Amino acid sequence: MSIYLRNFLRFCFIILLQVLILNKITLRWWLDPAGFPVFIPYVYPLFILLLPFEISVVGLLILGFITGLTVDTFMNTAGIHACATVFIAYLRTNVLSALLPKNLSEYANQSPSIKNMGWMPFLVYSGFLILLHHIVFFTIELWSPGNISYLLLKIVASAVTSMLFIIVYLLLFTRQSKARN
Amino acid sequence: MRNFILFIRRFFNFILFLVLEIVCIVLIAHTKTLQGNDITSSANRMTGLMYQKQNDVVYYFGLRRMNDSLLNENARLREKISTINSIEVVKDSTVHRVVAPADSTHVVRYADYIYHTARVINNSVSSANNFITINRGSSTGIERNMAVISGNGVVGRVVHVSKNFASILSVLSVEQKVSAKLKDGTYGYVTWDEKKPDVMLMRDVSQQIKVKAGDSIFTTSYSFFPADVLIGTVFNIETIKKNNLQLLYLRPSTNFRNLQYVYVVENKLGAERKQIEDSAKIK
Repeated sequence: MSIYLRNFLRFCFIILLQVLILNKITLRWWLDPAGFPVFIPYVYPLFILLLPFEISVVGLLILGFITGLTVDTFMNTAGIHACATVFIAYLRTNVLSALLPKNLSEYANQSPSIKNMGWMPFLVYSGFLILLHHIVFFTIELWSPGNISYLLLKIVASAVTSMLFIIVYLLLFTRQSKARN
Repeated sequence: MRNFILFIRRFFNFILFLVLEIVCIVLIAHTKTLQGNDITSSANRMTGLMYQKQNDVVYYFGLRRMNDSLLNENARLREKISTINSIEVVKDSTVHRVVAPADSTHVVRYADYIYHTARVINNSVSSANNFITINRGSSTGIERNMAVISGNGVVGRVVHVSKNFASILSVLSVEQKVSAKLKDGTYGYVTWDEKKPDVMLMRDVSQQIKVKAGDSIFTTSYSFFPADVLIGTVFNIETIKKNNLQLLYLRPSTNFRNLQYVYVVENKLGAERKQIEDSAKIK
């Protein structure tokens, strides 16, 4: 499968997963339904995180914008998701080169994955970018400086659940056999 | 000039980043006015179709609950009809008061409602402004700013319309206030404070007004909603020491978590009323 086709299919799959399934799950604190903010896990930034290593920053930015805008269209948020996704797309290259021992150009024809990065570096990489995404997203969405504790609670709760869902996604959809590319 | 081009080439990534972020912020700023931008709303054809397909699958799982809610609503409406029918007109046989035909014009008509049913195909309760997508659009006469109610109470207002779909800004939105009144006719407004989808607030109720837990709050005829639609019931009352006003906590009567069907209310006299109110505002 060519790398373009594979990424296109992954784009469709992740967006549909996010929009049609995860958006319908409203999580909350079950013991006290009214005391905890409701939130949904956001898994779609994973598409940006799993793009190949050698993609340019320009390509990342444009793909990030398209991804964000698609999710925005589905969720009626008009630009908030796009803003957050463009932000992490811009930072992705820097985070990767800070985490990886070799130069990025040496990973030809590969995508970031648990297999070629190891569990810890990959979790740090995705966790950091997801957290940044959530911070930007919820800050713009709520936009109420008087309510910092609520904002932080929502960011942390949402980021932790998003990471759980991302780990589940990776466990389910990582090829067990030796990957070709 | 050469330096300028070099500068752009050197910082092209950063400049593109800034440009895209500015585009996003412009898009966000457009929605904050609530006029909305129709490019990125779930009422457009592609997303509407997607939600429709998904709803076709999920629809059957909710049929039982929906059946119950329709039965409840039928029972409530029957009760209402019976109270209307049970009022006997007392006729006094000794005095015959002649009603002049001209008197009948004293009945003032301020609204004329048509109810369109619609199916909810997408719904959210977790963001700061929650939207609902329904499977009716301009082809069946849905227009912007129509009120939307459910069998139990208020739901929201139509904000985007396409040919076959419309999206509704629900009352669970930090940007939307609903004009409300208590049982005794005290006016105020109801807001949502974005934290909990099960709690709404009615602020600034004067302390002289006696409110008990369990009192109902209704819509008024001041807003675009039809009058006397239930908004919610009071479950907690707090007096603010600073200004001696009461803050009422309401439970919304509509369960936003499992909306299945809604009614879009078309007011035939609404356009005329809007026109006259707008003309008064300009002067």
